[in-house]
Amino acid sequence: MDLSKSPIFSLMQRRLGWLTQRQSVLAHNIANADTPNYKPKDLSKQSFQRMLETPRTSISMAQTSGAHIAPRENKSAYRQEVVKDNYESALAGNAVVLEEQLMKVSETQGAHTLATNLYRKHVQMLKQAIGRDR
Amino acid sequence: MDLVKSIKISAAGMKVQGARLKIIAENIANADSMASQKGGIPYQRKIVNFHNVLDRELGTHLVKIRNYDVDKAEFRKQYDPGHPAADKDGYLKMPNVNALIEMMDMREAQRSYEANLRIIQVSKSMIQRTIGLLGR
Repeated sequence: MDLSKSPIFSLMQRRLGWLTQRQSVLAHNIANADTPNYKPKDLSKQSFQRMLETPRTSISMAQTSGAHIAPRENKSAYRQEVVKDNYESALAGNAVVLEEQLMKVSETQGAHTLATNLYRKHVQMLKQAIGRDR
Repeated sequence: MDLVKSIKISAAGMKVQGARLKIIAENIANADSMASQKGGIPYQRKIVNFHNVLDRELGTHLVKIRNYDVDKAEFRKQYDPGHPAADKDGYLKMPNVNALIEMMDMREAQRSYEANLRIIQVSKSMIQRTIGLLGR
């Protein structure tokens, strides 16, 4: 049985991927809390409807010769957008509010804890079904 | 791993805030560095500018120091005819360092540093949680 094919695990996998990417976007915002003209970014919200749909498989270009350079894969699977309605912006054009960003970080951390705990629970359930765990 | 990337982004942020603190220390230390001869200019307050640079290894932008600039504000003047750098009216140019502004800047740098540190802590706990899935 392939765990990643089971819907609940693939959902969880995508959720964790989204949270991980969001964490690095937020880290970037905070690192730039004093950079002139920097506008904070965030990931577009994950919709439950979209998560249920099967992810589209991307078709990559074939390499027919050793001299071909493989195209760089778009690793950021989730779309990143600049936050438009900013709370406030400094004179130098920086719109990062540390409190707001830290709130988002703790939100991400909480969601990550939830996702990992759910994952663990489901694995436990599977183990119970095969009679290894009690 | 993506979470390691966010730790590195925050580490770059901490590094620039550290450099900023160093400049603030330099400004405060030189708050009384006057010119040594007539016509010379005293210490000018320094400021740091940040910008983003693409790190090819990580594939993401990291914050770096762009340049060190000098504050173009007017120098304060103090009446001190005995000083070798005093002008013909007996006035001496003092550095344009304001201790209050430096203190405020220092607090800001400290706060940004702490925020970056917090991100590292959170990312680390997230990594540990993911690794913890391996255990029972």
